[in-house]
Amino acid sequence: GTPPSPSGTAFEETRLHVFTLDYPHVQIPFEITLWILLASLAKIGFHLYHKLPSIVPESCLLILVGLLLGGIIFGAEEKSPPVMNSDVFFLYLLPPIVLDAGYFMPTRLFFENFGTIFWYAVVGTLWNAIGIGISLYGICQISAFGLTDITLLQNLLFGSLISAVDPVAVLAVFENIHVNEQLYILVFGESLLNDAITVVLYNLFKSFCQMRTIKVIDIFAGIANFFIVGIGGVLIGILLGFVAAFTTRFTHKIRVIEPLFVFLYSYLSYITAEMFHLSGIMAITACAMTMNKYVEENVSQKSYTTIKYFMKMLSSVSETLIFIFMGVSTVGKNHEWNWAFVSFTLLFCLIWRALGVFVLTQIINVFRTIPLTFKDQFIIAYGGLRGAICFSLVFLLPPAVFPRKKLFITAVIVVIFFTVFIQGITIRPLVEFLDVKRSNKKQPAVSEEIYNRFFDHVKTGIEDVCGHWGHNFWRDKFKKFDNKYLRRLLIRENQPKSSIVSLYKKLEIKHAIEMAESGMISKVPSSVSLSDYHEGKIKPLSPTEMENMREILTKNLYQIRHRTMSYNRHSLAADASEKQAKEILIRRRHSLRESLRKTNSLSRERPVLAFC
Amino acid sequence: SLSREDFQRIPELAINPLGDRIINAFFPEGEDQVNFRGFMRTLAHFRPIEDNEKSKDQNGPEPLNSRSNKLHFAFRLYDLDKDDKISRDELLQVLRMMVGVNISDEQLGSIADRTIQEADQDGDSAISFAEFVKVLEKVDVEQKMSIRFLH
Repeated sequence: GTPPSPSGTAFEETRLHVFTLDYPHVQIPFEITLWILLASLAKIGFHLYHKLPSIVPESCLLILVGLLLGGIIFGAEEKSPPVMNSDVFFLYLLPPIVLDAGYFMPTRLFFENFGTIFWYAVVGTLWNAIGIGISLYGICQISAFGLTDITLLQNLLFGSLISAVDPVAVLAVFENIHVNEQLYILVFGESLLNDAITVVLYNLFKSFCQMRTIKVIDIFAGIANFFIVGIGGVLIGILLGFVAAFTTRFTHKIRVIEPLFVFLYSYLSYITAEMFHLSGIMAITACAMTMNKYVEENVSQKSYTTIKYFMKMLSSVSETLIFIFMGVSTVGKNHEWNWAFVSFTLLFCLIWRALGVFVLTQIINVFRTIPLTFKDQFIIAYGGLRGAICFSLVFLLPPAVFPRKKLFITAVIVVIFFTVFIQGITIRPLVEFLDVKRSNKKQPAVSEEIYNRFFDHVKTGIEDVCGHWGHNFWRDKFKKFDNKYLRRLLIRENQPKSSIVSLYKKLEIKHAIEMAESGMISKVPSSVSLSDYHEGKIKPLSPTEMENMREILTKNLYQIRHRTMSYNRHSLAADASEKQAKEILIRRRHSLRESLRKTNSLSRERPVLAFC
Repeated sequence: SLSREDFQRIPELAINPLGDRIINAFFPEGEDQVNFRGFMRTLAHFRPIEDNEKSKDQNGPEPLNSRSNKLHFAFRLYDLDKDDKISRDELLQVLRMMVGVNISDEQLGSIADRTIQEADQDGDSAISFAEFVKVLEKVDVEQKMSIRFLH
């Protein structure tokens, strides 16, 4: 007979599938890519309406997008959306941001103001943490609020994690307000350094919470721990920074992977420090600042550009993801609302910050040669925004030790939202208000712009002359040491010393001559304009003509050289000023050549206008 | 003592639009070297003005960092032929240095005309020192031309 046909059970053959869908296979990378893609598309969306980013900081918009997403997920699945994993945050999302900030940090300005920065970061954060902790404990004692089960240590821990001023949030907002260099470096530096303090305090109080009794020796151990954590982190960073610089000395044959070394070494410094429970943030900042000088001279121009752009890209993506996750994690069942706790937390944060800045400034102004004005203090105090770091720290709290964890989460979220949204949006109008009150507005003359710019150029020029020959004992010592040992060891020979010199070299004389011939530079006012002048009186201008003139001037007057490029997470600022520098250099070369030609052909004329 | 080349080696000064004029300001008439004293004299113009100067000597020479002397310093940056007037030509030269390449000569000329018109009072189509001072009376020159030397 015929063999039995195969029955439709266990061993049924499946035909070859022409088309299959296998989601679990790619689930994780697929979801990650979708998240990042969504974040980037959101950013495009914001910039479509060009006025929006200047009114509302991007961080606010991103949180809103996150909230929206969280709401959608919550509505669709009826359960809390995925909460940001603290490990993911601390190991993957945070390092690129800190690396970016540390790499572009203007080191000279930073060290000039190091005392003040350190003072604000360490003492300020301690003041805030302990102040908030103790006052909240006082509130908790009032039995009417139903908070009596929160102990002093828990309050102190909460205080320490909420006093962390967040560099991500602050810098995003600061772009809009055009602060002067001093102020910028103070807030920037403070937000970087205080992360180390926060983490130390946080870990300290957390361990205290979990210990039965606290002896005096434990407190001393805590203080010693702080120093070890901070200094240890910095040492690791510096060490790896030197190794990185040394490595790049030999990479000229493999230019293509030069940028990789920068990123690998800095990330290595971060995770090495984390391994020893030292401050990873200080490590990566120190590594970036050390590496910067030497690497810049060793790598090729293209690699340098690649490093800069890639760093910006990574940190931009990180920041976007962090804010979106914050929005997403807010929606859900993680909350416990208690009017008293939440509102007093917010109140104390504001009060202690303002008080702290005020008191600290009074003390430090005695030691500073350039005192901080009231406007500066206001900006520092009001610019103390909280962001992703406190958010992640609060999620890290062990629920066994903290039965009221959900309450803490709610309070932290309220504080973050308040500072990012309300303070972030209103800081710009407030600063403008403070400024406007001083100056008196009158109808500006066309020439005023010219004179103002003229004075600014002169002042910057003289400042540069002074700065070039100003002496500072430690800086000189370091420079000597640097030149004698470090540069010889870490830098390949025959490198131009500054980017201006390399810019000079890039402008070939032939190219410059070409441009000069094509009429780009005219030294003598053309005969057309001269004849205009001689013909008649200068006629008075109508308001529209005035406006036109003023507009032309504003657009075309050269910018004053800024010592520090204003930090911008989202773009590399150098292009416009590079173009300006090129034009000026070409013109001077041309006029130098002209005058040399003149003095060579003429006999002993007094070389009056040698360089005009 | 310093020579012009020493100044020209300062990279930031190379990309300052008024770099050459500033360098010139350090060197006295027709000389190519400046000693420390001369250098400091020029820099002294930029000291901040202090109100509570005890040694306010009414009969003695005005201190170098007075408002009038600061303005005189700026005036000298424009006035190359030292005739105590800023002619249209001199103004145009400085304007051209400060402005990008996208402005045509005609536009620059009319801006220069306007500037002179706003300042000129005696109708000689040039700006004298007194007129210069008058135009800038509302500008906070003390703040704009002062540098804190000690950091």
